Amino acid sequence: MKAWAIHVVKLLLSSFALFLAVITVLFFLLELAPGDPVQSLIGDVPITDAVREQIIAAYGLDQPAWQRYFIYLGNVLRGDLGYSYATNSQPVLEIILSRAGNTLALAIPAFILSTVGGIVLGAIAARTRRKWLDAGISGTTVGLFSVPNFWFGMLLIIVFAIWLDWLPTGGMAPYGQAGIQPQYLILPVLTMATTELAYKARIMRSSMIESLGQDFIDTARSKGLSSQTVLWRHAMPNALLPMITVAGYSLGFILAGSILVERVFGWPGMGLLFFDAIERRNNMVVLGVVIVLTVTIIIVNILTDLVYGLVDPRLRARFSPHRSTPASPRSGSGAAPSPKEVAA
Amino acid sequence: MTLQEQEIASGMPTAPEDESAPVTEPVSTGRTGGARAAWRSFFRRPTTLIYLGVLVFFALVSALGPFFVDSPTATIYPKLLPPSGEHLLGTDMLGRDYLARVVYGGQVSLLVGFSVALLCMTIGIVIGGLAGYYGGAIDTAMVKVAEFFQVLPGIVLTLVAAALLGANVFIIVGILALTMWPGVARIVRAEAMRIAQLGYVESAKAAGFRGPRIILSDVVPNLMPPVLVATSMTVGRAILIESGLAYLGVGDPSKPSWGALLNTAQSYMNDAWWLAVFPGTCIFLVVLAVNMLGDALNDAFNPTVGRVK
Repeated sequence: MKAWAIHVVKLLLSSFALFLAVITVLFFLLELAPGDPVQSLIGDVPITDAVREQIIAAYGLDQPAWQRYFIYLGNVLRGDLGYSYATNSQPVLEIILSRAGNTLALAIPAFILSTVGGIVLGAIAARTRRKWLDAGISGTTVGLFSVPNFWFGMLLIIVFAIWLDWLPTGGMAPYGQAGIQPQYLILPVLTMATTELAYKARIMRSSMIESLGQDFIDTARSKGLSSQTVLWRHAMPNALLPMITVAGYSLGFILAGSILVERVFGWPGMGLLFFDAIERRNNMVVLGVVIVLTVTIIIVNILTDLVYGLVDPRLRARFSPHRSTPASPRSGSGAAPSPKEVAA
Repeated sequence: MTLQEQEIASGMPTAPEDESAPVTEPVSTGRTGGARAAWRSFFRRPTTLIYLGVLVFFALVSALGPFFVDSPTATIYPKLLPPSGEHLLGTDMLGRDYLARVVYGGQVSLLVGFSVALLCMTIGIVIGGLAGYYGGAIDTAMVKVAEFFQVLPGIVLTLVAAALLGANVFIIVGILALTMWPGVARIVRAEAMRIAQLGYVESAKAAGFRGPRIILSDVVPNLMPPVLVATSMTVGRAILIESGLAYLGVGDPSKPSWGALLNTAQSYMNDAWWLAVFPGTCIFLVVLAVNMLGDALNDAFNPTVGRVK
């Protein structure tokens, strides 16, 4: 248990360091950028020097960058992301939270769809004895993996919304109505899920093939187990191990991809907010979105790491007091080589 | 499945922390007959020939196309003509020949994709090679930097940097290379670590050769196959990310890439599907080609991976 605790502490520390690094790099990058925050605050109106001075003082823009950096850092650690330079100086966190739900409404279904779909397709491709089926699935996944995601969304709009007129072209609900209507979700969720689904299916296929090729599968078969039992009880669990990591990372990619997908479908989520903020040099909002995104990704990565440690018997063995026990035959040199080998 | 994916497929989130990596695999590739045979088998695959053909086609069209097509900026035709014999890809909303715009757009997309990949390969080999061969502080530093770029999705950082620093093609290439090199470097590092413990490196050390010389003459040539696979995948990813950025409006407005064409096409999806379909198809075909070539290269060098026994 002690080794486990040390591992967790190390993980938390390095995650925190990463988080600081992201804030620091972004803060100074935005600092270096041309563009005038005062003007983005006011809009395109001429202002006198006196008013300008006043605004600069009010927002603390007269202090040197490093000083503002430390003030900002302190605020962020206390959960205060500052105030937007636009939209009536709303608190940044408030703006982001008001948009986050819309993004999650796309991201969570896309995440589930891509993970389940990827696992099923990958497993079928790996296991089937019909060559054409494997070739078909593998070919489709390479294809989907090579498609620019946002363009796929545009094609879906052209076919299903414009030509067939089955689904709306964009937005969350008919004009003037609040909330999200289900038929508006279909195309953006499909768009968001495709690339990740293709990637997960590729990983799952080779992971499954590797798992099916291991000695413990031969052992299980020679014990007389039915092929269904071999598949579900022996091959599948090992093949799924790498999917934990892949699924964990994919959430970050899905969230980042929302910038493009939300633009295609005019979906007012965090991605669109981020994009608008960059265009308008609304630095506090840009920083805020990146921070929220990074924190989410880091938390998911930590969870992924911990779950992996709990699920993988080899790692459990490493963290347990009986470290000398060799890995169980089922995991032996199973689908995944041990993390040490991976590092090699 | 490429090495990068294999690494993920078998990976643990904290993998890079572990130092004492046991060397298990024997060398199967290198400057021996094995490598030559692998290259031969690579070039004999039908997929290789087909997709190499696709790439050569797009390269030729970008290089020579401008001599044959109309001016991409002359607004001399009727607006929004659908594809026809006269205008193979139709005309756009200002009455410009769309074929010309797609041809010129390809120059930007291909230039970005290949130069980013070459830069990534160079940086990756230098940094990853040093980190993997020497280990220690360089290695730790590299792993940390790679982690940084892994946490922050490339498109976010690139979007901020490109929007702020300006949008000429060279800046975009620079930023993409900066955010994407760790992908290649991680593979170089892993391979260099493996090779550094092999017999022939030991012999070279015993013969009195110094580190840099050994890296150049023994380590780098032997790690090339997986690095080439990773590089070819980088071409595809760079083209995809560039197209995404251009679609969002980040890019040189005077030299619209395929992604930038898609940006304008968005507003005309109702009446002019061809504006959206053709540039996207080009991106798709080029990225598909480099990915398939990467896969084929990987299969040629790791013939046993990915088959049920």
